[in-house]
Amino acid sequence: MTADDTPALTEMVERHGCSCKVDENSLEQLLTETSLPATAAHERTIGEDAAVRRLSNGRLLVSTVDFFTPILDDPFEFGQIAACNAASDAFATGAAETVDCLVTLGLPADHTAIAPPILDGMRDALAQMGGAITGGHTIVSPWPFAGGAITATTTAERLLRTDGARPGEQLYCTKPLGIQPAMGAARIEEPSLVEQLIGAVDRPIEAIRDDAIAWMTTPNATAATAIASLATAATDVTGFGLAGACRSIATQADVGIVIEHLPVIEGTPALADLFGEGLSVGETAETSGGLLVSVRPNDRDAVESALAEAGVFYRAIGRVTDGDGVLFDSPTIEQISH
Amino acid sequence: MARVDVRDEICPRPALLVRDALETVTDDESLIVRGDYPPAKRNLKRLCSNHGFGVTERSAPDGEFELRIDPSDTAMEASNDSR
Repeated sequence: MTADDTPALTEMVERHGCSCKVDENSLEQLLTETSLPATAAHERTIGEDAAVRRLSNGRLLVSTVDFFTPILDDPFEFGQIAACNAASDAFATGAAETVDCLVTLGLPADHTAIAPPILDGMRDALAQMGGAITGGHTIVSPWPFAGGAITATTTAERLLRTDGARPGEQLYCTKPLGIQPAMGAARIEEPSLVEQLIGAVDRPIEAIRDDAIAWMTTPNATAATAIASLATAATDVTGFGLAGACRSIATQADVGIVIEHLPVIEGTPALADLFGEGLSVGETAETSGGLLVSVRPNDRDAVESALAEAGVFYRAIGRVTDGDGVLFDSPTIEQISH
Repeated sequence: MARVDVRDEICPRPALLVRDALETVTDDESLIVRGDYPPAKRNLKRLCSNHGFGVTERSAPDGEFELRIDPSDTAMEASNDSR
């Protein structure tokens, strides 16, 4: 509850951030039942992070939509995260130019005053990506939500897909994991439960939360620009966790994936253990997570140099195999502070 | 048999409430957990398995779940050590 007795943003919803997504199995079932046909006009459509259409000038138009419920109470930060998360699907395809956002906004009837700071946050984040809000649509909704339809452009040479990974390649991620336990802990207020948190983790919960917010408000645009011409495949790590992102590449490329190393926000392994959350097996929802990128062995040095020069966090986390499925092979855990 | 109701609770609160309740059960007592948030069921099962508790799913009304948590010797020793 806020000082003026209005409910906090996270108190208005039952699921927070990417946790509000329809689960993976239900979504697959829905798509199977609907049988949406492929269209000849599009290079890529359903099943990829974004739809891709070739324009008459040869460039590729990438379009995607994403919106979700508040993961924290500050409307400006919520707007920043919503914009970063929505645009992330375009960046995962290598498209980071001419980024436009048509906002999708839902607001409880009695709380429309939160709209301006949410939009300010979105505008701020989009400016960091060289993008802008170009329109939108707002509805009354019992649960507030924010996000947008994103368009961006790229070239065929820089287009990334999930089906390009090949056995022998190295996998990288560009943000540490642990958003779900970090933000879950930050929502706990009851003194007896807060005591459990303090007893379980050596780091202040506020510091863990602040790190999580810093990662969520970091756009994936710079990472995408750095790796687009070098990587063979990419996707973004979001509500289905790292395991879901790996499954997406493994299924689309018909390869196996082995994860051997996991960078995580410092303090989140202890929180995940306390909450029973599957951080070490990639099952935590990673709202506005980083990119998962596959790279040929000969291009590893170039990719690492490009990411380092661009100031983008990265870690090598695993490899692509000629098997199938996704294996978290007792990964080493590296705790990262922002 | 002790009971804890985590209906209308969303993660991570169910795990913390169940951990609180497990602190109070005796070594021959089971804890019954009733909830309605699907991710909480998965997380509670993982939490209990990771810490040496036995977990059994029981029948529950539509849209809800019920878990029976049985302390094992190992889990109780760990729990007693932490008190």
